[in-house]
Amino acid sequence: MSKPNDLVQGTLDLLLLKILALEPLHGWAISLRLRSLSADVLQVSEGSLYPALHKLEQEGWISAEWKQTENNRRAKFYSLTRLGRKQLASEAANWQRLSSAISRVVRLSEA
Amino acid sequence: MRIEHWWFTVPLRLRSILRGRQAERELDEELQFHLEHKIEEGVAHGLSAEDARYAALRAIDGLAQQKEAMRDMRRIHWLTDFVDDVRYAIRSLRRTPGPTALVVMTLALGIGMTSTPFSMVDALIFRPYPIPHPSGLVTLVSTSRDNSYGSFSYREYLDIRAHTKSYDGVIANAATGSVGFSAEPGATPRIKGGMMVSGNYFRLLGVEPQLGRGFRDDEDQVPGRDAVVVLGPAFWKHEFASDPSIVGRTVRLNGTDFTVIGVAPDTFPGLAIFGGPDFYMPLTMARVFSTNPQKTFFEDRDDRELSVKARVTPDTTLQQARSELAVLAQDFERAYPTLNRDRGATVRTQFDMRTRDDDGYWKIGVISVILAAAVLLVACTNVAGLLLSRARTRTREIAVRLALGAGRFRLIRLLLTESLMLACLGGLGGIAVAYGAIAFLTKNTIPAELPVTIPFRMDARMLVASLVLSVVSALLCGLVPAWQGARTDLVDGLKTADVDVPGRTRLWGRNALVVAQVSMSLMLLTTAFLMARSFQRSVALGTGFAKDHLLMARFDPRLVQYNAAQTQQFYNLLTERVRVAPGVQSAALTQNPPLGLNAFDRIAFVPDGVQMPRDRETFTSTLDTVDEGFFETMGIPMVRGRGFRASDTGDAPRVAVVNEQFAIHYWPGADAVGQHLRLDGATGTPIEIIGVAKTIKYSSSNASGRPIDFVYVPLAQHPVSRMVLLLRSSGDPLQLVDSVKDVVRTLNPNLPMLETRSYEDLYRYAAVEAPGTAVELVSTMGAVGLLLAVTGLYGLVAYNVSRRTREIGIRMALGATSADVVRLVMGKGVLLVGTGTAIGLAMGAAVERLMNAMLFDAGGVDILAYLVVVPSMVLVTLLAAYVPGRRASRIAPTQALRYE
Repeated sequence: MSKPNDLVQGTLDLLLLKILALEPLHGWAISLRLRSLSADVLQVSEGSLYPALHKLEQEGWISAEWKQTENNRRAKFYSLTRLGRKQLASEAANWQRLSSAISRVVRLSEA
Repeated sequence: MRIEHWWFTVPLRLRSILRGRQAERELDEELQFHLEHKIEEGVAHGLSAEDARYAALRAIDGLAQQKEAMRDMRRIHWLTDFVDDVRYAIRSLRRTPGPTALVVMTLALGIGMTSTPFSMVDALIFRPYPIPHPSGLVTLVSTSRDNSYGSFSYREYLDIRAHTKSYDGVIANAATGSVGFSAEPGATPRIKGGMMVSGNYFRLLGVEPQLGRGFRDDEDQVPGRDAVVVLGPAFWKHEFASDPSIVGRTVRLNGTDFTVIGVAPDTFPGLAIFGGPDFYMPLTMARVFSTNPQKTFFEDRDDRELSVKARVTPDTTLQQARSELAVLAQDFERAYPTLNRDRGATVRTQFDMRTRDDDGYWKIGVISVILAAAVLLVACTNVAGLLLSRARTRTREIAVRLALGAGRFRLIRLLLTESLMLACLGGLGGIAVAYGAIAFLTKNTIPAELPVTIPFRMDARMLVASLVLSVVSALLCGLVPAWQGARTDLVDGLKTADVDVPGRTRLWGRNALVVAQVSMSLMLLTTAFLMARSFQRSVALGTGFAKDHLLMARFDPRLVQYNAAQTQQFYNLLTERVRVAPGVQSAALTQNPPLGLNAFDRIAFVPDGVQMPRDRETFTSTLDTVDEGFFETMGIPMVRGRGFRASDTGDAPRVAVVNEQFAIHYWPGADAVGQHLRLDGATGTPIEIIGVAKTIKYSSSNASGRPIDFVYVPLAQHPVSRMVLLLRSSGDPLQLVDSVKDVVRTLNPNLPMLETRSYEDLYRYAAVEAPGTAVELVSTMGAVGLLLAVTGLYGLVAYNVSRRTREIGIRMALGATSADVVRLVMGKGVLLVGTGTAIGLAMGAAVERLMNAMLFDAGGVDILAYLVVVPSMVLVTLLAAYVPGRRASRIAPTQALRYE
């Protein structure tokens, strides 16, 4: 499995959960959303997207449902579960702590 | 992991397992969907359709890889691997159906033969009481010098109840034995078994009646006042068709009316192993059920009939309870020095009670389990041998797998899965075998007065046991071959060289095992054959009396509280009246019919004019009490003198009839008629011998068939209350039942007829069915032994063949014929069978001598047995060696040289 570009390990889960927290999406839309939201900074390899989604599904954090897309094709839509919402909250908190710690260190070295 | 998490993930895993194909399809579809969009996007960016497709595939890093990564996320690898292993194992087992069937059969027998006695041991020892919190219930026993599991008397029970503090409650119960039961006052009573219990019985056990109520405390206060009865669940079902309106009805027990107050629940068939009571009565009604006129149940401190149980309080140790009871027993001894001399008391657990040393059943069970486990072990060893020879032929396959990167652990798992499959099939077969064995062991209903429940059964506990045995045997027979297989040296394995240096020592154990199996099965088969033959002979020899056209029925007037005079009067009237009933040729009374289930009484005597040996004061002999019609009705001829007459009354001089054996034993060459016997020592009452009867067969447990001493005394001079009426009929004896019933009803409508059946029924069970079962049992064991010998030998020879394939190829290339090869391979097998046969013959001969001496009157050496058993045995075992030998001889030399 190729590692996502410039993506801290484990953050992909957080990103996916966050995106799905906004609305249920299928895999393709998620990959588009990921690109546009991060202004093309976060280039998630499509290769690692689906295994990651599957893992989240098997953990019970997101659930999948087959639905029609707007142009009338069948696609697998993922949405956040109650368990996933909890997971998102805790991962987000984690991320906040980590990133603020890192930025503190970074600022320190610049001063 | 948290429960909530499981809540979500378990259905997902299940879905992956159960709907695997659909999950697979969805995987495809999802990725396809993504690809299509990606391609569209590429086209929109100006790529050609072809280029866009390649770009999309590149971007996703390979479809197959992603799918595999996604499958990994499902976390069911262990299972899919296992399923693959199972598939592979089934395929590889199906390639060799013959050996597979042999292995499965061997394991099935081993497992089945082990779980059968396990069910026995489980029932006899381990199965807990069918009550809530069974472990707290202990049994209080009275101990004396010759009985450490004694009962207590009613008075003692009351004292124990009043003076102990270790228990939440103390209960007492006593089985009533036979009770005459009738659902309506007018009906002829039938025999049922009841249990007298203390008022707190059900409450302390925690048993809630399914209908009505249990006993109240005040119902065991006043003797004879509360005639109430609680029905057992099975009895309620059979006798009253589960009638819900039964509570409040009146039933008659031993001639006394009882009110039904409740029905015990289905979960509580009773505490005993061999059958539960049909109904429960308060202890205070003991007078109705007592059959011991010498004792007063409520008063006599030495009328010890009560089994006492108690629940130990949670904060009392067993040790405390024991010392408390021991002190109480000392108090008893002080207060009643004569009645309680040397009498103690102690507390025993359920396990103590079930493994009491004066009871043989559980020991037989434990021994059977050990023997069966040994058989299973031998079976597993044989199977391991077979698997080992399989593993050897697969060295190359395994080496290839290793070379391709299979882990050794994974390989052991694969090989073990194979033996697990075998063991599972064997386990299934084993359950079938156990089922058959239990059906076989319980097929003969014992014609006892009260039904005996044989507690073997197939239940969940047994299924679990069989399962555990299967897994254990899979490990036993699979681990060594799997371990050896996985240890295959990669380089050597691939280089095809047979690296195994034939080690003699390693096979020594297996050789010995085969020899042991051959000799044991030969001995068992010979024994079975001898038993069957002498059994046939003994049946053919006959009984010495006419057993057809006889009806029997047992009476016990104590059940309706008759005294001695009433009893005598009853029997006089009974025989007088049935004798004139239509179809009756003659009638007789006897205490026990010959070849019956009850043991005869014994009599101690001193024969007149016979020098007593210095070390004994009396001789003993078996004894039967009969009336004057006995010899005629049974068709036993008098050899000398006369039989009993009506004139031999209680006031007349005391007389006896002895059998020929007795006469020859004590007065060889002289006439026994006119001699005297003295009872109870040289100065006792003299009894004159008035006749000598022909010797017949008396007891079926006396399997030797050797004649025994026997004395008959007249009923009028030796009153017995429990007697069997024997009627000789001109037609079908069972047609007389109604006329006998009519006569009994005129004498006392409350007196039940026990064991009413044709005498041939009894005879068939005692003399034909039971010994027949023994013969079948031994021959089954012999057949099992033979099968084991066959598997052992087959495995051994096959192993040798697989090891020496290359050598055989060389020999054949150098000009050996296939006959040479068969000889080479079988040589060892023949040697083993020969040794085993020789040992088996020696053991068989020894057993035959033993049997001649102890058991059957087999009469000399039975040549036929050996002529039949030995050749067939040798033939079968040699066949087991021949099959793999022949396969070896068919090997094409060129192939064999390339082999492995």
